[in-house]
Amino acid sequence: MKTTTIINYKNIYYPPGGILIWIVIFLELITFGMALIAMVYSSKGEPEVFHNSRLLLNSTIGAVNTLFLLVSGFFMAQSVRFFKQQAISKASVCLKLTVLGGLLFLALKGFEYYDKIEMGYSIGYNNFFSFYWMLTLFHVIHVLVGIVILLIMYLDIRKKGAEASLENIEASAAFWHMCDIIWILLFPVIYLIF
Amino acid sequence: MKSSLITLVVLVILTILSAVVSNYVTNYATTIILILAGLKFIGITYFFMDLIKAHIFWRIIIAAFVFVILTIILVIY
Repeated sequence: MKTTTIINYKNIYYPPGGILIWIVIFLELITFGMALIAMVYSSKGEPEVFHNSRLLLNSTIGAVNTLFLLVSGFFMAQSVRFFKQQAISKASVCLKLTVLGGLLFLALKGFEYYDKIEMGYSIGYNNFFSFYWMLTLFHVIHVLVGIVILLIMYLDIRKKGAEASLENIEASAAFWHMCDIIWILLFPVIYLIF
Repeated sequence: MKSSLITLVVLVILTILSAVVSNYVTNYATTIILILAGLKFIGITYFFMDLIKAHIFWRIIIAAFVFVILTIILVIY
């Protein structure tokens, strides 16, 4: 018999995923936010360098990567919903699709990095590329950590089934969505506005 | 499922719109792109992260955060 787990999210001390992961999320968002502000501030000193460097990036790759993360985030949300309904096999499939989205993101990012290194646009090339490499690499590290967390959750669900901890799954999902929202801030500033 | 799917479709449309605006719009392009980014941010946090069901404190603080960050970027830019 399928049952539905109900958590009172209206409790101020229990946002979806738990308060601890939300403290982490806010610290990460503030860090990336400050870095983006620093990047935009830095561009005021050399607007042409930032504009010409931005044109060296492939915004289509950035947009496709955004789509990968959005679709991945959708499957993550579905996975949590299916788990709450104790539809474990559907939750597992969605979790695998979430990881696939992350891997596709990393593969495309890897291609982009290879292309930039081949052309000599490394971290020390100019101010724009210093920010580009630092911000996107820091984000890639988060995506890698997110994939590892999701794989651990996948193994946990396979092993324990409906007995796996909903709190852990929600917190993992919140971490994954954090990667998504950080990219949503990085993409327009790095690839589009300069 | 249905609301998540609608959210995904809206997010994809906003992403495509951002790319179109950056390539074809010259006036206010930055403002439009950042507003679209803010909307996507809210869409993900409220609907994918289920913040819509959370205490109002969390809904306000996340919206305030993205508003402040994007406004600072826009003012400096």
